[in-house]
Amino acid sequence: MAALQLLVNGVALGAAYALVALGFVLVLNATSAVNFAQGDLVMAGGLLAVALAPLIPLPGIVLLPVVLVLMAALGLLLALAAYLPLRRRPPVSVFISTIAVGIILQNGAAILFGPEPRAAPPLFGDDTLHIAGLAVPEQSLAIVAVAGLLIGAQQWVFARTQLGRRLRATAQDPEMARACGVPVTAMILVTFAIGAACAGAAGLLLANRYFVTPTSGGDLILKAYIAVTVGGWGSVPGAVVGALLIALFEVGVSSVLSYPVALGALYLTLLAILVLRPQGLFGEAVRRRG
Amino acid sequence: MSALLTVRGLTAGYGGATALDDVSLSLAAGETVALLGANGAGKSTLLKALLGLVPAWGELRFDGADLGGLATETRVRRGIGYVPEGRRVFPGMSVRDNLEVAGLPAARERAQDVERIFALFPDLALKSGESAWRLSGGQQQMLSLGRALMGRPRLLLLDEPSLGLSPRLADELFVAVRRIAGTGTAVLLAEQSAARALTVAPRAVLLRVGRVVGDGPVASLSEETLREVFFGV
Repeated sequence: MAALQLLVNGVALGAAYALVALGFVLVLNATSAVNFAQGDLVMAGGLLAVALAPLIPLPGIVLLPVVLVLMAALGLLLALAAYLPLRRRPPVSVFISTIAVGIILQNGAAILFGPEPRAAPPLFGDDTLHIAGLAVPEQSLAIVAVAGLLIGAQQWVFARTQLGRRLRATAQDPEMARACGVPVTAMILVTFAIGAACAGAAGLLLANRYFVTPTSGGDLILKAYIAVTVGGWGSVPGAVVGALLIALFEVGVSSVLSYPVALGALYLTLLAILVLRPQGLFGEAVRRRG
Repeated sequence: MSALLTVRGLTAGYGGATALDDVSLSLAAGETVALLGANGAGKSTLLKALLGLVPAWGELRFDGADLGGLATETRVRRGIGYVPEGRRVFPGMSVRDNLEVAGLPAARERAQDVERIFALFPDLALKSGESAWRLSGGQQQMLSLGRALMGRPRLLLLDEPSLGLSPRLADELFVAVRRIAGTGTAVLLAEQSAARALTVAPRAVLLRVGRVVGDGPVASLSEETLREVFFGV
């Protein structure tokens, strides 16, 4: 029973992590650039929900579309300021510029909100449901449902629409995409917007149960990075599965030992994967793509 | 015949090196022209320059309008299709998605065009849902050609389409090129295999070390001229 309880908690956390990793891997695929601001965008989404809550005193699910739109706009700004001017420079330029954006977001948040932890409103309610002996917080169910819906919607767009085809073509071969009439720069902007919207959604989902502080993004970018490494660099399904595995690992080890031990074990596992299976779980598919 | 494509004094290069030097040529609507030259003559660079994929200077007009400064995707939307050397299909996308991504915005027209391509290349229809990386080299070349046709181009730029294909597959591909040219689409065909190119093109432009050294009907090309272009002797 305890294991089932941990599974429920782990899946809820993993669903939110999956959104973070998904946004990270989409930008990585479209631009070959690592967006180190992704974790801080999650923090920004959480604090945005905190800031909006008094203005729109309704459940978090009503705030979600507002957070998605505002975060997408922030993603566009990030692309315009920190990626597009530097895209023909060596990749390290974009690494540094996204790190700089992350620091700006952290310090901006610290000035506006202070260092103390804040909680966003729950998506639906605060109650705990008792199902077959398991205590399942409504928020956990809502996180899984909302994250699943957003990931599913995104996969549908990518698989079934012309926008999705254009985004995938841009990710696979930008020059050839241009030669097929795809407006590649616009697609890169859309990708940054989607990536930031994913981060914002994750921020809203996480900021109720796990709170949000201006520095909480640092931990999340590492987890997104680990999820993408575990799943296979560049693999979208791999990033989602990697995020779920990380969360289950974190919840499981934390319950037996402690959170710091879980975090340490997670980084050790990352090192082991890099040595033993550097292509990650879905690495074979990624290799074939090239 | 009025010119569909006019190139005057085109110069292009990579870094400090000049790959095209003062190139001029023109193509009429519906005309098929072979672009012949040895490896490194500048054939691929010329096609890329027409599409805006490499920096180029000079006058470029398509259907009377200046192409200079236009983005590649805009040139494509104006009616220029491109089949690159090495096929460059999108490997992780299905055959159908490879075609659709280059199609017109309206879904209905796009679907009709996909069926048109499948009729031209029935092999592709059988592999519609498969990832492009699973296709053979010949099928990938057909997909690349079909993808270029999805934008309903008035000018098709073909870069070494027979490269890496068996003689039988190359022959099949050139049958398709002849059919495409027969529909009124102008074709500029860069090809190392002069014998094959001249089976579809009644006119040839000869490039040597980035310069045009000959331009005229195939019948006017002597064996000596071709030998000089390809072997420098």
